[in-house]
Amino acid sequence: MAEDKKPRALATQAAGKIPKFVRGSLSATLKAKEEGKKVAYAYIADGQDEIMRAMDIVPAWGESFAGVCAAKRDAEKFLQKAEADNFSRSLCTYATCTIGFDMMREELNGEPVPGAPWGGMARPDMILGSGQLLCDPRFKWPQATQHYIPDVPVFVGNMYYPPFDPKLDHKDQEKFYVKYAADELRELVKFCEKVTGKKMDWDRLAALTELSDKTWDLFIDTYELRKAIPTPMDTGDAMNTMVPFTFNLATQEAYDFYKDLYDELQQKIADKKGVVEDEKYRILWGAGLPSWFALGDFQYFNNKGAVFPVEVTYRGGEKIERLDLPKTNDPLEHIAWRWVRYWTHWYDKARKRPGSIPKVERIIEYIEDYKCDGVVFHSAFSCRSWHAGIIHQANTLKKVYGDIPVLIMEGDIVDISSYNEADTHNRIDAFIETLDAAKKRKG
Amino acid sequence: MTHYFAGLDIGSTMTKVVIISDKLEASLIGPTGPEHRKLANKVMEEALDLAGLRFIDLTYIVATGYGRINVPFADRQITEITCHARGIHSLLPTVKTIVDIGGQDSKGIKIKDGKVTNFVMNDKCAAGTGRFLEVIADSLGVPLERLGELSLTARKAAEISSTCTVFAEHEVNNQLANGESVANLIAGIHQSVATRVYSLVRKLKIEPDVAITGGGAKNIGLVKALETRFGYPVLVPPEPLITGALGAALIGKEVYEKYTTEGQTPIRCGRGLEEATFFS
Repeated sequence: MAEDKKPRALATQAAGKIPKFVRGSLSATLKAKEEGKKVAYAYIADGQDEIMRAMDIVPAWGESFAGVCAAKRDAEKFLQKAEADNFSRSLCTYATCTIGFDMMREELNGEPVPGAPWGGMARPDMILGSGQLLCDPRFKWPQATQHYIPDVPVFVGNMYYPPFDPKLDHKDQEKFYVKYAADELRELVKFCEKVTGKKMDWDRLAALTELSDKTWDLFIDTYELRKAIPTPMDTGDAMNTMVPFTFNLATQEAYDFYKDLYDELQQKIADKKGVVEDEKYRILWGAGLPSWFALGDFQYFNNKGAVFPVEVTYRGGEKIERLDLPKTNDPLEHIAWRWVRYWTHWYDKARKRPGSIPKVERIIEYIEDYKCDGVVFHSAFSCRSWHAGIIHQANTLKKVYGDIPVLIMEGDIVDISSYNEADTHNRIDAFIETLDAAKKRKG
Repeated sequence: MTHYFAGLDIGSTMTKVVIISDKLEASLIGPTGPEHRKLANKVMEEALDLAGLRFIDLTYIVATGYGRINVPFADRQITEITCHARGIHSLLPTVKTIVDIGGQDSKGIKIKDGKVTNFVMNDKCAAGTGRFLEVIADSLGVPLERLGELSLTARKAAEISSTCTVFAEHEVNNQLANGESVANLIAGIHQSVATRVYSLVRKLKIEPDVAITGGGAKNIGLVKALETRFGYPVLVPPEPLITGALGAALIGKEVYEKYTTEGQTPIRCGRGLEEATFFS
């Protein structure tokens, strides 16, 4: 069908700058040794960004590297390497891809792996894990990596937040969680001081924390511009524009990126330029990491007049004022409050709607604020933290909110053998027909 | 003047054509293969012959199924999910859940007033599809169409623990060597497919009435195994292979009627009864 081959002409210019960001982060790890800086294996959304940046530690993000390998469809050699050491394909393929890469680099005595996408990552001086509720590999991935680089010290902090209980007010418990998280961060600082041989510059940490807060605000202000009809940017772009927020937080470059993106989106709205010429359906990306090797599927949606003005994935921030954080002069305590209040942000709403849960409240809020006609979830089988709860979320949404078209796509984040393009497109076609029928029913 | 509407369902294994006016004029089922897929025009010609019609007599044509894009003369392409829903609703209006067991995939479809509200499809694995049954039938030397009746003579369904087609075939061969009867093995295989299909479709919250379509619905042993798994009887349309094509033809009719009611003429693709040329 010719309509499927139309290019997405109106993607943001900002998204086009992202490869430079990602490549820059990877090459920074390779240059760090010459610059006398330490490299840390780091994991996203764990509250450690400001500490690393304040101590000039260069983060090497396994999730980013594995995503690049997947996007370039060049991950198989690393997955197979890990599989040869009995790492199952059902384990997180961000982890197994990176571990396979680590194994290869160690066989070369720590030298760069020839042919690794964008040069790969440098051998780390430390591993800064964060065992927390976001995903289970956060505990085991650093430990498994250490098998291959046993001389590299590991710190695994625990950043918890109160579990949701519809009958309990989490605010009664949150001080305990904040204190616990702040103490963990303090231990992390001590660990980093020991490995780097440098003392923490607390004023710098405070300044970077303030910069992060400003970036959180700007990130949300920018993304909320996407409420416009037609939307000026969709999730296909957001899977790129999330990079500075996710991997470069607490840097001026990240803040400046969102300033540019904000201006660009405002201009598009003023010019009434949407992602597609004729916006017919607005869809929420409700959960799940994307298949990095199949980001073209967003364009497949776009070619059918469907856009994603909002996504849950990689929207790991909120306007600071909405979190109502208590005042503190301790930057670590501030980060801990921000952490706990972000993850519990939808708890109050969920308690007010019988049978609901925070994740579904968030979805409902986005459906309403962004005027979405349907929800797409992506069940990436090796990402168990998302995969396992998706059907429950979809069923809860239908139960507490009403019948809204839902599509659950299946695949993986890195492992391309999970993917069938014809099948995926067939599902998308059927979903579009379902959306159309639902819209007609509504009138 | 009578208006005729055609629906073509080009599935992975079988091609189905239905021509309707205010009644069913003709239906045709034939195998799909690389060449057949290329020759959708030939299948349509046969169906037109059956109905005693010419191509120019057709008012609107809708293609569905995996091969729907290979029908150059179709006025519209619609997924088989939507078409099955429409087809079943016309035949069995009380149905709320459809289980379609096709040659290379299986699906669950929830419908309301003939429209799809939700659906699930199997993953890349062949277990739970007609292909699984084909492989086992071949391995046992039993014609596919005899699997159903043979399984009803089983004393006790053999336990087939593998859901993987390749491993299940191996398991069947081992059990055969150990003296298990063919009937018991086929009954076991039907249970295995029914379990797999049930675990897929239950993601939708199954609501009765349930109908089964696709080639799997022609296998009485599999239908019985599914009824046992679901815990209540399931409905089987008179010709379960053509519900998608029927739905496509009905949608074509609805499109035409909607346009004419609004005083407009539906846009036709303008192509003749020609073969797809984009393979060469």
